[in-house]
Amino acid sequence: MAVNISEGSMIIKTEPDSDDSIPKSDKQTLLAVLQFLKKHNLKETEHLLKQEAKVTDDDLKTEDDKKTEVSQALAAVYKSDDDPSLYEDLYRDLKNFIDSCLDVHKVELSTILYPIFVHMYLELVYNDHEWNAAAFYSKFWQDQEEHRHEDLAKLSSVRSKEHMSGNQLLENFKTSKFVLRMSRDSYTHLKRHLQEKRLSPLLTIIQDHLFIDVFDGVPRTQQQILATSGGLLGEVDKDANKAKVFYGLLKEPDLNIQFDDEEEAAEGEEKPKKKKSKKDPLLMKKSKNDPNAPPLTRIPLPELKDQDHRERAIAYREAKKRVKLDHNHLPSICFYTFLNSYQGVTSVDISDDTSLLAAGFTDGNVRVWSLTPSKLREMKKPDDLDIIDKEADDVMERIFDDRSASDNKLLVGHHGAVYALSISPDRAYLLSSSDDGSIRLWSLLVWTNLVCYKGHNYPVWDVKFSPYGYYFVSAGQDRTARVWATDHYQPLRIFAGHLADVDCCQFHPNSNYVATGSSDKTVRLWDMLNGSCVRIMTGHKSTVHCLQFSPDGRYLAGGGADNVVVVWDLSTGAAVAQLKGHTGIVYSVCFSRDGAMLATGGLDDSIRLWDMQKILAEQDTEADTSIPSNVTVNDSPSLLLGTYLTKNSTILGLHFTRRNLLIGCGPYAAPT
Amino acid sequence: MASESRFGSILSSESIKVISESIGISGLADEAASFLSEDISYRLKLIVQEAEKLRQHGRRTKLTCLDFDQALQIKNVEPIYGHTNKDGYIPFRHASGGGREIFFTEEKEVDLHAVVADPLPKIPNDVTLKAHWLSIDGVQPALPENPPPATKDLQKQEILDTSLKSGGNRQLKRPHLDANKHKHHNKHKEAVMLKNLATHELSVEQQYYYKEITESCVGPDEQKRSEALQSLQFDPGLHQMLPRFVAFASEGVKINAVQNNLALLIYLMRMVKSLLDNQTIYLDKYLHDLLPTVMTCVVSRQLCLRPDMDNHWALRDFAARLVAQICRNYSNNTNNIQARVTKKFSKAIQSENVALATQYGALAGLGELGPEVIKSCLLPYICILGDRIKSVNEGTALNSVDKIAAEHIKRQLLKYLPAVLKTFHNSTETVDEFNVAYGYLGPMMFSMFSQKEKSLAATTSAVHQLAVPRSTLQLTQRPPQIVIQQQPSTPVPLISSPFLNPSPGLSSINTRPLSSLPSTPTGVPGQKFVIVSQTRPSTPIGTPTQAAPLVKLVTTQQSSLTTSISAGPQKIVVIQGGPKPEDSVGGGIRTTLLSGPPATTFVQQPSTTTSSNISGNDTL
Repeated sequence: MAVNISEGSMIIKTEPDSDDSIPKSDKQTLLAVLQFLKKHNLKETEHLLKQEAKVTDDDLKTEDDKKTEVSQALAAVYKSDDDPSLYEDLYRDLKNFIDSCLDVHKVELSTILYPIFVHMYLELVYNDHEWNAAAFYSKFWQDQEEHRHEDLAKLSSVRSKEHMSGNQLLENFKTSKFVLRMSRDSYTHLKRHLQEKRLSPLLTIIQDHLFIDVFDGVPRTQQQILATSGGLLGEVDKDANKAKVFYGLLKEPDLNIQFDDEEEAAEGEEKPKKKKSKKDPLLMKKSKNDPNAPPLTRIPLPELKDQDHRERAIAYREAKKRVKLDHNHLPSICFYTFLNSYQGVTSVDISDDTSLLAAGFTDGNVRVWSLTPSKLREMKKPDDLDIIDKEADDVMERIFDDRSASDNKLLVGHHGAVYALSISPDRAYLLSSSDDGSIRLWSLLVWTNLVCYKGHNYPVWDVKFSPYGYYFVSAGQDRTARVWATDHYQPLRIFAGHLADVDCCQFHPNSNYVATGSSDKTVRLWDMLNGSCVRIMTGHKSTVHCLQFSPDGRYLAGGGADNVVVVWDLSTGAAVAQLKGHTGIVYSVCFSRDGAMLATGGLDDSIRLWDMQKILAEQDTEADTSIPSNVTVNDSPSLLLGTYLTKNSTILGLHFTRRNLLIGCGPYAAPT
Repeated sequence: MASESRFGSILSSESIKVISESIGISGLADEAASFLSEDISYRLKLIVQEAEKLRQHGRRTKLTCLDFDQALQIKNVEPIYGHTNKDGYIPFRHASGGGREIFFTEEKEVDLHAVVADPLPKIPNDVTLKAHWLSIDGVQPALPENPPPATKDLQKQEILDTSLKSGGNRQLKRPHLDANKHKHHNKHKEAVMLKNLATHELSVEQQYYYKEITESCVGPDEQKRSEALQSLQFDPGLHQMLPRFVAFASEGVKINAVQNNLALLIYLMRMVKSLLDNQTIYLDKYLHDLLPTVMTCVVSRQLCLRPDMDNHWALRDFAARLVAQICRNYSNNTNNIQARVTKKFSKAIQSENVALATQYGALAGLGELGPEVIKSCLLPYICILGDRIKSVNEGTALNSVDKIAAEHIKRQLLKYLPAVLKTFHNSTETVDEFNVAYGYLGPMMFSMFSQKEKSLAATTSAVHQLAVPRSTLQLTQRPPQIVIQQQPSTPVPLISSPFLNPSPGLSSINTRPLSSLPSTPTGVPGQKFVIVSQTRPSTPIGTPTQAAPLVKLVTTQQSSLTTSISAGPQKIVVIQGGPKPEDSVGGGIRTTLLSGPPATTFVQQPSTTTSSNISGNDTL
């Protein structure tokens, strides 16, 4: 399989190309090495290297200076000579001004208070006015919205200039601008006020640290603002989501029709039912060309083997027996409880055909269970395989060793908690990502570890196989998401852009895009082709812990530590619905196979079902989403169709079978 | 650490100094310590923030030491090895050497021989996977793997929910004729939103359960009864049957109070107690039935056939505890249960013309409500109570029942008052002062007060034992006399109802193993039967005609569960109207709190025609 995507793409290169590198970057590398040697007092080596590379001390000096200059420049962002007591008055004055505004503008303008508060505080801290900073903080922190308190708590731990370097949160505030969106009317109000009063420190803060995206149209309402606010650095400016996204599904290769005929012959009497299932929009779409679908060859995909064809035919047949779900027909839920796990289960995954369930544990072990009566078997040893008749019809059956059959298999390899698992679509492989910074690929045929992918040096929070196999994406504490191919030991793409940990990732059903959710409270959609970020979606107020694409590829649902589930429309990047009801972190979201229902579950021991059909029916598709005030976010409580509580079992995984039976799983915690 | 975050909580510089001394750096300058404390606090917070992430990804609700260790590792700091989370208690020690520092938990020396000789410890159970149906077509089946059908909050929500519910599935199932009409259809649907009629249907199993439980609760088999009470106390998911159980108890008390069937009243109270103890049911909406029921058992003028013999006092005490429990658990500013109950009780205490048994009950009720209530609602009326007792003891009316009651009242006072008196008076006060304050009961109160003082003193200094405390109960009463008063007893219709069934003999009270009920009757065998009929201005109300509807209700209840109970008149709560003067106080309280069915229950006629009354001493 020839995959050659790394050519001509704008990825960050991790490996220095040693052969034809540019001298400049080479020199930088050398200098870096020298610095390292100096730091660790390896004088002789340093000396030798210097001689060999003909680097003089002056070069080193300038490099050093440059470094300090840069860091100074970064920190000096907050340099100001203003009287520290002035800040309090300024902030209060701004608040009073906003309070005195008309109600329509008040809501929009009050969004400016949070970034100003943050930057004023940081300026005070930077200029060594610690007491003023403390007083300023304690006076106004409670005015900020509830969902900001988590960040504010982190901010408040910074109390002196020394703390400011190396703090991730502060780096973000310093280096990037806080994005606000407001209507032109509100903006002019604000501008007039600031100019009239000549509030110079305020003006500098706004100029230096804020980016106000002005739009023409009526000001937004409180609800609209709340629905999109929450990002670490505010909202998303209008240009971020302009790129076109091919969210349609790929055209399915023609399946072996004989399966259909066979079935027709067998179930001849059920003709009316068949007609119904043919109308199923999802099955229709596959045969038709979707205008929103990417070209088939946009991303090279692995070729389908005979096995895959068979698999797809089975899936298709199963899909025909699918139960139709709507608000009158709720699904049945089968719940798998882990007993005696001592709260050690950290991740689960269920294979697409619901035959395998994998669970990862805190101690680094991975266990795979069979959910069907057929046991898990190991492949025979090479010597035994040699004597098998390869032409036999049941060769796939013969290669397995019946003596090794068992209900579950243990995979040992990680030395840290296993945070995510993903079973490949053909059920031959299993990926696991762990606290130890590695991703491991396991074979589910020989039940051993095949590859250990090292790239994230920090915990890897999530890993997911592409729906077509071969590729997989991982997300980690190092603030990057990486795309890998199973046969490359280094990543094909590194998606950098999130301002904090990337906590979850998900492949688009057409395998052309990857969605990532982060602790910076945003969700990004990345293009596999060129590695660019094509969508930034806000709305979550805390860490995003799970993401799932709708089966038609157009919608994305995310759940997080703010106990809310948000549904976005990928065509515009705008939030469509906000589903509130959970009382604990949402760890799992799953669309039903026909996309009519959304199931969510998490730390509050409940599975909730939401009416996706209603969300789509009530979505205003004609509205011009370029004007934020036209976007409405559905947060009606009537979207909740059902709540099913477990007996003290956290819900870690949800999965709809091909026939739309909902499977949930999680560990039981004995009440203490 | 979200909302209640405070600005700048930092380690104190004193702690820093102590820590520095513990690692051998003494005499740390103040300035250095404060700088260090600030910096260390900041670093610690950073690490905790990191550990918090690990907790979230570990899908846990509790932060563990391992999270902290891991966070240190992420920050490229050498983690503190050796101490792990051991039930939250971490006694760890510290050792250093060779440039490494290691923390470890101290472990005991183990005798290897013992280990070898011992049988192998049991291996902890392996992780297993268990499947069950969490929901079948959207309905959660009642399996042991699933939580109880409705939590307390949910029950509350359900009861308080006054919003309109969708008018069932009928409209939704109507065939959609035209897609264009869809919107219109929706509107139509909204227009006919109706609140669902609450249909209280019990499944066959539930009916069977109800029958079993109620029969065991009042039946003769003690073993079965305790099982039934156990079930009522601990089983979740009873809320469906709650209206029935409450009705059963309240109707049962109504009838058995009339019948003076002490045993059944006790059984019913135990049933109420079990219901009150059940943590999974939401009882608020049934208090209007339960409270009058329990109150009846506290203050009713007569609860047993032979008031001088039977230990109805224990029932009153038990019921009083139930009232106190209800007040503790359910009283709030809206329903004001405790205030209303207290008012009723204290009115009974103050009243001149209520039965002493009623006053006893009221006393018990107030006593159970705690020292504050005793202080404000009981102590001021001790005088009145004293006069009452005085008139009984010294009065000419020959009435041994009253005398027994008076004795019990005194004993009750002895039980509740000393603790309160201690806080109220000081030891310098004399008998006279007590006499002024409490009238007739003054000497007794003083003696119990001083006794309390002495016992306190005795415990503090053993030498200080001066006088043997005098017996607190004075036998000032005259030898009781025989009174025979017969009234034409109204015939009670004989109906086959569980409440009227006299089969559980009264003797069974004595053998019941209910710890909270003193089971020995105060009356000694051979004691007199004194049948009292107090002169009442009004004629007895309990006539057969009036009793009839009540009885009828019970019989229907027995025959068909689903109809009669919801149709019964027990749900009416009217809290108004002062006690009618001509009524007995017991009845007055009952009617004012309940005022549902007419107060036919307070038939004063003892149905037994006693033959002889023998006088004797009260044993104390």
